[in-house]
Amino acid sequence: MRRVIAGILMATLVAAAGCNRQTAPAGEARPRVALVLKTLNHPYFLDMQRGAREAAGRLGVELVVQAAERELDVEKQVQIIENLVQAGVSALCVAPSGSREVVSAIAKANQAGIPVVVVDTRVDADAAAAAGLKLVSFIGSDNYQGGRIAGEFLVRESGGTAKVAILEGIPGHETGDSRLRGFRDAIAASPGIRVLASQPANWERDQGFTVFQNLLQAHRDLDTVFACNDLMALGALEAIAAAGRDGHIRVIGYDALDDARKAIAEGRMDASVAQSPEEMGRLAIETAVKAIRGEAVPAEQMVAITLVTREAAGAAPAR
Amino acid sequence: MSRLHVPARQLGTLAGLAGLCVLLTILTPHFLTVSNLLNVLEQTSINAIVAVGMTFVIVSGGIDLSVGSIVALAGVVLASALRHDWPVAAAVPVALAVGSACGLANGLLVTAGRLPPFIATLGMMSVARGLALMWAEGRPISGFDEGFRVIATGRIAMVPASALVMLGVYAIGQVVLSRTVFGRHVYAIGGNEEASRLSGVPVYREKAAVYALSGACAGLASVVLTARLNSAQPTAGVMYELDAIAATVIGGTSLLGGQGTLGGALIGALIMGVLRNGLNLLNVSAFFQQVVIGAVIIVAVLVDTALKRRRG
Repeated sequence: MRRVIAGILMATLVAAAGCNRQTAPAGEARPRVALVLKTLNHPYFLDMQRGAREAAGRLGVELVVQAAERELDVEKQVQIIENLVQAGVSALCVAPSGSREVVSAIAKANQAGIPVVVVDTRVDADAAAAAGLKLVSFIGSDNYQGGRIAGEFLVRESGGTAKVAILEGIPGHETGDSRLRGFRDAIAASPGIRVLASQPANWERDQGFTVFQNLLQAHRDLDTVFACNDLMALGALEAIAAAGRDGHIRVIGYDALDDARKAIAEGRMDASVAQSPEEMGRLAIETAVKAIRGEAVPAEQMVAITLVTREAAGAAPAR
Repeated sequence: MSRLHVPARQLGTLAGLAGLCVLLTILTPHFLTVSNLLNVLEQTSINAIVAVGMTFVIVSGGIDLSVGSIVALAGVVLASALRHDWPVAAAVPVALAVGSACGLANGLLVTAGRLPPFIATLGMMSVARGLALMWAEGRPISGFDEGFRVIATGRIAMVPASALVMLGVYAIGQVVLSRTVFGRHVYAIGGNEEASRLSGVPVYREKAAVYALSGACAGLASVVLTARLNSAQPTAGVMYELDAIAATVIGGTSLLGGQGTLGGALIGALIMGVLRNGLNLLNVSAFFQQVVIGAVIIVAVLVDTALKRRRG
């Protein structure tokens, strides 16, 4: 019976190793670069992966992409990084699931002499300093600025009076907090714009739907919703449709996902802040390769933020 | 009677673990290194500690779905205590107390309240999660002294402290489960609760203790997790209950109660840890990893059930 269990376990693993290796272990001196994302079931990170793959192909790099099953699972992300350090990679690019929690894992990469590029979400500066982290570069977009752009759009569009509901991301995440601050700062000078409710919908489409449905019950006079990402905005759109209030509520999202762009083109949604995840992925791999070669790289590389609106059917520069 | 077969079944699971290790050694040069094996031990410790309490609960014929949320709640309370400059020696018992209290509440609901364990702990899963979010106001609480963090990051003769904590918990749990009256009662209750009651086993008291113990293990796991991440998150520990149930069941513990061993649970947790580690080392795609892990759980239990049936 031991043989049965062992045999079946082995067969499963051989199958796993055999048919599902992402890349063939072909090249001799091809540098192996790992990209650890927050999740692989969000279009934003899939776009980032696409950009990274493009750059990896162009630069002759073997790319390893890994992510935890759930975006919230920082401990799993830490494990993945530790395991990649054990497996030995030439460079590591990380989109941290937790700004502080990921520090100990990055420290292990540092100890192993693996250059680390941080993408999308910053590592907490104090925690990084305390652990003596060495980071090659941060690549991201300024979420605060993005939030501001969304707020400024609302001020322009509404002429200074609006009743707003905000759908927040997972509380305590730097990304969502910064967007929120930017948005609130931009509308602060317009007393006519009042925020009636601000509730977390945890970045999820289904929660965006239910939370906004509930908010509509509580505040029948809402005329604007700002969602800190497009999945929540798209959920809110469905809630608006279900309530038969299409066209009466302004919807502003963040990320400019394909679905959101379509909704904007169809006039169901008003605007979405576009980051460039694909560009981030590309830049991350290029930076990692430079670090491997020992070339100098800037400590911070910001990719452009644009606002997608009905007028500018595609991506128009914001400002 | 059934316990006579347990050592043999444990050997079978151990053979599975050994086979997995041999296979990974062949497939990747990075698996069988001292640093990687210690790495696996460290990564396994949290799930393994939760699985100790889960084994007691499942052997008693119950289930505990609330452990993941209890990890989060005990973690944020612990973190607040530490942030308020409580000494480690005071803050850690607080985490254990929070875990035990939640567990005891489960136990009372199951016994005095006569709720099915599934329902009682499902409720606690949500209550504890909500309390954790309220306590922490939704945010992670982070930044602790080295004196606390050594619980996870410290090393004694290269072995990670978290692994030593894990082994200590198993040693104590093993003695309690196999060498005490309480342990024998747990098997008896899981085997036939009514018969145990009629033969004078204090069923309610022992069952309440089992759930409190499971909560305490979750509390201890939260200590290791918080030290490891240097942060306690109210959103931590989601799905830990399922990982712990998987480790217990892979280790040959029957969900029907009355049989199972802690040794098996430890091996089960190690199989899950080695598997996750190996799949990372082999660069198996993130999505396919979930398929493999699920398949291994199903196969392990299938084999176990088939063997049991053959023995009659």
